Amino acid sequence: MKVLIIAMYHPELVRGGSQQVAHELFQGLRETPGVEPVLLCSADHNSPALFKSGARITGFDGRENEFLFLSHDYDYVWQKLPLPLQAQAFAEFLERIRPDVVHFHHFMTYGIDYLSLARRVCPAARIVFTAHEFLVVCAAQGHMVRPPDGALCERATPVRCHQCLPQHPPEHFFLRAQWMKSHLAAVDRFTVPGRFMAATYEKWGLPAEKITHVPNGLRLPSLKAQPAAPARRNRFGFFGQLIDVKGLSVLLEAVALLRAEGFTDFSVEVNGENIHFASPEIRARIEQFQAGEAELPPAERRVRFNGGYHPGQVAARMARVDWVVVPSLWWEIFCLVLSEAWACGRPVIASDVGGLAERVTDGGDGLLFPLGDARALAEAMRRAATEEGLWERLAAGIAPPPSLAEMVAGYLKVYG
Amino acid sequence: MRAPAKSAKAGPARVQPLAAPEGAFDEQTYLRLNPDVLIAVAEGKFRSGREHYELYGKAEGRLAAAPAGLPRDKILITARPGQAEEAPHPPQGAVDAIKLSPSGGLYVTGWVHDALDRLDALELYVPGWSTAFSAAALARTRRPDAEEVVKPHLPHALGFWGFIHAGQHLGAGKCNVVMRMKSGAELSLIVAIETVEDLELRFLAFQQLATAHYPGPAYFNAPAVIAAAIGPQLVEFSAMLTRRAVSAPFIERFHQPGRRPLASIIVCLYGRPEYLRLQQALFARQPGAEEYEYVYVCNSASLAETLLKDAAIAHRAHGLDITLILLGANAGFAAANNLGAAQARASRLVFVNPDVFPKEPDFARRHLALAAAGPAARTDLFGAALYYDDGSLMHAGMYFEADTAPGFMLGQGEDVTLLRVEHYGKGAPPDDAALLRPRPVPAVSGAFISAARGWFERLEGFSESYVFGHYEDADLCLRSLEAGRPAWLHDLHLWHLEGKGGARLPVHEGAAAVNRWLFTQSWLQTLRAGLLGPQAAHPALSEAAA
Repeated sequence: MKVLIIAMYHPELVRGGSQQVAHELFQGLRETPGVEPVLLCSADHNSPALFKSGARITGFDGRENEFLFLSHDYDYVWQKLPLPLQAQAFAEFLERIRPDVVHFHHFMTYGIDYLSLARRVCPAARIVFTAHEFLVVCAAQGHMVRPPDGALCERATPVRCHQCLPQHPPEHFFLRAQWMKSHLAAVDRFTVPGRFMAATYEKWGLPAEKITHVPNGLRLPSLKAQPAAPARRNRFGFFGQLIDVKGLSVLLEAVALLRAEGFTDFSVEVNGENIHFASPEIRARIEQFQAGEAELPPAERRVRFNGGYHPGQVAARMARVDWVVVPSLWWEIFCLVLSEAWACGRPVIASDVGGLAERVTDGGDGLLFPLGDARALAEAMRRAATEEGLWERLAAGIAPPPSLAEMVAGYLKVYG
Repeated sequence: MRAPAKSAKAGPARVQPLAAPEGAFDEQTYLRLNPDVLIAVAEGKFRSGREHYELYGKAEGRLAAAPAGLPRDKILITARPGQAEEAPHPPQGAVDAIKLSPSGGLYVTGWVHDALDRLDALELYVPGWSTAFSAAALARTRRPDAEEVVKPHLPHALGFWGFIHAGQHLGAGKCNVVMRMKSGAELSLIVAIETVEDLELRFLAFQQLATAHYPGPAYFNAPAVIAAAIGPQLVEFSAMLTRRAVSAPFIERFHQPGRRPLASIIVCLYGRPEYLRLQQALFARQPGAEEYEYVYVCNSASLAETLLKDAAIAHRAHGLDITLILLGANAGFAAANNLGAAQARASRLVFVNPDVFPKEPDFARRHLALAAAGPAARTDLFGAALYYDDGSLMHAGMYFEADTAPGFMLGQGEDVTLLRVEHYGKGAPPDDAALLRPRPVPAVSGAFISAARGWFERLEGFSESYVFGHYEDADLCLRSLEAGRPAWLHDLHLWHLEGKGGARLPVHEGAAAVNRWLFTQSWLQTLRAGLLGPQAAHPALSEAAA
């Protein structure tokens, strides 16, 4: 069986969840007898040196069966490319590869109409589409979070979408949904990494019987040896990008509340970067906090900003904390950080929505708090730092996160 | 002493004709009786009233001394008619611009203070040619900036603009402009003529029409001010530009060899290229979509490159036959669709707006079956139910209303009547059986018109007199009705994201005003004979229904 996996960006060019899943699936399939996977990842203006004159699809750094789709001038409003020669190159690529399965992990940088194109070029192939967010439903970056007030959105309609993005009239969103659905009609099977996503997609109009839940199973870090247990379990860690939806500002607000109450027997380590993708307000809030922290005498500092990290550093950073706080302000589809924390035996304190609520059992293997509620997070942190035996009990409740083998098996079933 | 008037025949009873004075010249009285002389003396033009009297006043028959007291309750005439003023005052005014296009379009705009002494004509003298706009031919507008200068006692439309199409190349250069007033006074100005492109000139004229200040509502005023002269000139000028725009189209065909389409979908694109790929994606979902060919005619030259690419991509993704016709300038809805029809291959022509998409899953086949089933009287020209994105009905046929505004609202004498097009069922619940019932209607929306090619050609297509787009759908349907086949509304369902299909600018509002005037002028009389209102009871409609 020949499987073409299509991803937005190669994870080694631009880091991100969906491309990482696609790439690891590709590697997992390569080790599966009877399966011949091919990986097509896009590159764009982020990797100008990889563009070759007149080339539209090229190999990638001498690797077998890995290809780059050289995308440019992408139209983010309608999610399409204006390049007929690129469409031709893609069609010719499909004709050459002749895949039995075309598995899209994303359409951005290609265009949603590449689903229709794939169907037309490969009428007999099985087309699989994995939704890593809600981009076909939601034009606000696929987050289903309403920009005006940060409320989570459960229903995309023309008027509601217009309220989120007032630069477009309601008719635009009506048409956007029609346009998306017309191309999604080419898909044989949809998969979602979070069970709760299926409900949103069903409500939006995808046929329920075509949607399958396949959790993301990745190669995860592991701690070579657990460091000696500290006397107190009062060290908290944040892992993730410093963008609005990851909710670092909620954690920092909780720290401020605890301090104001005179509770300072804890520490927080912030691991992550890309603050330039945060909104100006959130960025200012985080940077103000950071500056304020730096002005304190060293003994009074409680929050340490470690900067970004690469996958090889995850285990070491995890080893320095007891708890991982995931204060996300959006649905958090699957949350790779959760899998990483669990792989390192760290219970989490997480927002109670979406993929987090689906995976974390409050009081069983972690603690949940109401989304965006800094007061509740502060209380959960104080409890975590002070309640004797809680950490041990929750850590013991952690089940191993889904493995790569499980994910590969899940997708093989979908491929039929 | 001359004989006083004896009867009303000699003049109004309250007017007393000139009575020559007797006795000695009295300087003080002469200046009082002739204030224009008083001013002329004050300005130093004459040393004294006496000097004026000797030089001119005597010959003009002016009184040199007062009669024995002014007659009470009468008008006393103190000079011969036409000689009352020492010299008529030249008017205050200015010419903002005179613009001339290579094809002889001439546009002039300015203002003149003629609240008291009315403008008679605006004369233009240029080396090699000259012209005169009569005051009635000029559009008059409010000019707040000029009102600041002259401060008229009552609101007055000081502004003016005119347009004339010479139909031939004219030389530009310096122009001597003479504003001639009814009194004979004149203001002479030297203005340099600016040369602008034909399309730019049309743009300026339409924009002027749309954005000018009017004494009354622009809806009535804009069509009213062009009724006398500018309207026909603009229509003719625009028709010339349309003929030029469609004369050399660029045509690219993305066809599967050997296909014979049963129907041609013809779409006029303007301003928004994304609709080509959107429409292709949405029609491609329909069973039977490949029985149609898709003819896109683009009125925006700047979109040519994008559309060529988009048509290639859409053809590759969906495999439907696309004919792309690119025009170098905006030829308007009517001419673009006529050109699309001429290039179409099928015997069934379907005119569809770019923002129209099938609502029902089997539209493509149902439409073909309906058109094939006949009879011709019901299928030679028909429309469909159109829906808003919110699910409510947008269109289930069109009817006409006439609105009249009193002339005094507009600062003119005659009342203004304009025709208005209304849609049956606009905003109604989606399944109103009475509205969706197949039936003949006064007209259907050009957003979706299905026509037998033979009948469309017999009607000679859409009228290209309408500028850009508006009313030509109604005009086509009314001509069909007059020829014995009113348009039908059939039970087919499409989305229509009305008004979102193209960019809308003041220039389009100006064109709409021209079309409103033209449509009213063309059809008011016919429609008044039983075709006005939602319950239009024209014999052609009732016969067709039977």
